[in-house]
Amino acid sequence: MSGPDLLVLHALRCVGTAGLERVAATTGLSESDVESELIDLAAAGLVTRFAEFGVWSLTETGRTADAERITAELESAGARPAVTEAFDGFLVLNPELLDLCTAWQLRSVDGVMIANDHSDSSYDARVLDRFADFHGRATVVCAQLSSALPRFGRYRIRLAEALGRAGSGELEHVADSTASYHAVWAELHEDLLVSLGIPR
Amino acid sequence: MRWIRQLNAETGDSAEVLGGKAHGLVVLHRLGLPVPAGFVVTTQACRAFLRDGRLPDGLDDELATAIAGLDVVSVRSGAAVSMPGMMDTILNLELTTTAAARSAVEAVFSSWNTPRARTYRELHDIPHELGTAAIVQRMVFGNRDDRSGTGVAFSRDPNTGANVPYGEVLFGHQGDDVVSGSSSTLPLRELADREPTVWAGLLDALSRAEAHYRDACYVEFTFEAGELWLLQVRPGRFVGAAAVRLATDLADERVIDRHEALLRISPQHLRHVRTPRIAATSEVLARGLGACPGVATGRVATTADAAVRLAVDGPVVLVRPETSPHDMRGLAAATGIVTARGGPASHAAVVARAMGKPAVVGVSGLVVAGSSASIGGRTFDENTLLTIDGTGGEVVLGSPRVVTNAADAHLHRLLRWADDVSGDRSERDEAQRLSAAHAVLRR
Repeated sequence: MSGPDLLVLHALRCVGTAGLERVAATTGLSESDVESELIDLAAAGLVTRFAEFGVWSLTETGRTADAERITAELESAGARPAVTEAFDGFLVLNPELLDLCTAWQLRSVDGVMIANDHSDSSYDARVLDRFADFHGRATVVCAQLSSALPRFGRYRIRLAEALGRAGSGELEHVADSTASYHAVWAELHEDLLVSLGIPR
Repeated sequence: MRWIRQLNAETGDSAEVLGGKAHGLVVLHRLGLPVPAGFVVTTQACRAFLRDGRLPDGLDDELATAIAGLDVVSVRSGAAVSMPGMMDTILNLELTTTAAARSAVEAVFSSWNTPRARTYRELHDIPHELGTAAIVQRMVFGNRDDRSGTGVAFSRDPNTGANVPYGEVLFGHQGDDVVSGSSSTLPLRELADREPTVWAGLLDALSRAEAHYRDACYVEFTFEAGELWLLQVRPGRFVGAAAVRLATDLADERVIDRHEALLRISPQHLRHVRTPRIAATSEVLARGLGACPGVATGRVATTADAAVRLAVDGPVVLVRPETSPHDMRGLAAATGIVTARGGPASHAAVVARAMGKPAVVGVSGLVVAGSSASIGGRTFDENTLLTIDGTGGEVVLGSPRVVTNAADAHLHRLLRWADDVSGDRSERDEAQRLSAAHAVLRR
């Protein structure tokens, strides 16, 4: 199991700059645990805090340390083959997810792409229905990942949560908010690239 | 033959049978334009394949006959409705045996049913049982020599509707390099100097295609050792101000009448007519794909951190190779977004639309290095003033003139025609004036 310090360090690596609430959501740790980890990581020179915004991000040293520790974790668990295979599955799904987000934001009316203003609930329901179908396939990839490395388990939970909230009317959880399906998916993409040491 | 049609002027089947792309190739043949030799395996064969899980009996024999005389081919999908980028294309296939042709056709037919393609059809109301055709054509090599290349062309400018050919050309490459954005393209006009015969042939083709469709057209072409070949044709599908100008110009040219001009403009087009645009007179530094409409002017930032830092002093345009979650702070701080890679469904495009920020993606030739960026040999540093147009995809240095009434003259004429039809000259908004005319014309 990844220790909480690595979970917090790596969450920042995958989400970029973030506040306590977001790191807590990403890691599944409480905000107070996240904060104490961040303070220790800052003392070690791995993260830094932007006081004016109340957000944290990695230092260059932190970025290097994260890459080393994530690679070591992957290799010691013997998880590289399974994660590589899951990444191939992810890459098949990725263009479809982006198609779905685009369909959520734009729709074609008389051949003209217009912003989806979400006034047509039957259209939104159709897109969300496809999201649900997509999620069934995404879950397979997530399960492959979490059985290779338990820390990946958060993605399935967070994606399901985003979809559930979108389905109950919180539409920003599809592609707009930092907890949206699209945002969590993009974090997973970044995580897979970092975990496998693939440059962007 | 039952399952295969030759691509030539005599083929009489509909787009439902041949698919839209092959149907367009038959049109090109009828117009006497150069199309690489080939044939199409029909959508009926695909439907049989989807139903039975194997290619229909008899197709093997037909394939054996059809491939005679072909050696290296492309095998492309083409359904009756457009599903861009959803299905497989096989290039540079050596047709040494019938089995090679057979497995390529199977691969294209199977790609009809990938989950992504199924999702696309669900979202766009396209029936799953339509199936795609598979087009097998002799490869023409845009990468054969320095008198070869490939490109795409519109008969008129799709950004403004102006009656000048518009497009991109890439010397020494195959067509997929234009689409993927992996190489830097040149403006179409470069053909005129470097390959005048190809240019003249292309202008002739565009003009014949326009006359056939009575509409602006789009073609994909390759030239091989100075010889022009056409690979696809379809109507231009202009929107917004460009659609308005096109329709009024076509009426003035007596290609269509005023009633048809009115019917070609949907009230939806009028929504986009007033979107701010960079004035057409501006010198364009580079062009990408418009991913979120609107104009943004700001100082260049090449990292999310720089965007946050510079945004304190004024608007910022974030310029990135592509975006990731790491760029979210920068995206939030910026007023506009430019990326080198990615299409209209890239991470950057999705986020830009979520935030309502003008964005241009897929600017080929854009290189971001440290705190500077370069496009086509011109380097600009962080802090340089840049303006982007998320409708047409233009990137312009400095702060060019921005217009919100690019189509005013044409729009006013079109709406006067609308009032003539409806007989109603009361004060109403533009969409209502057009809709009233439509109601009369569709009676």
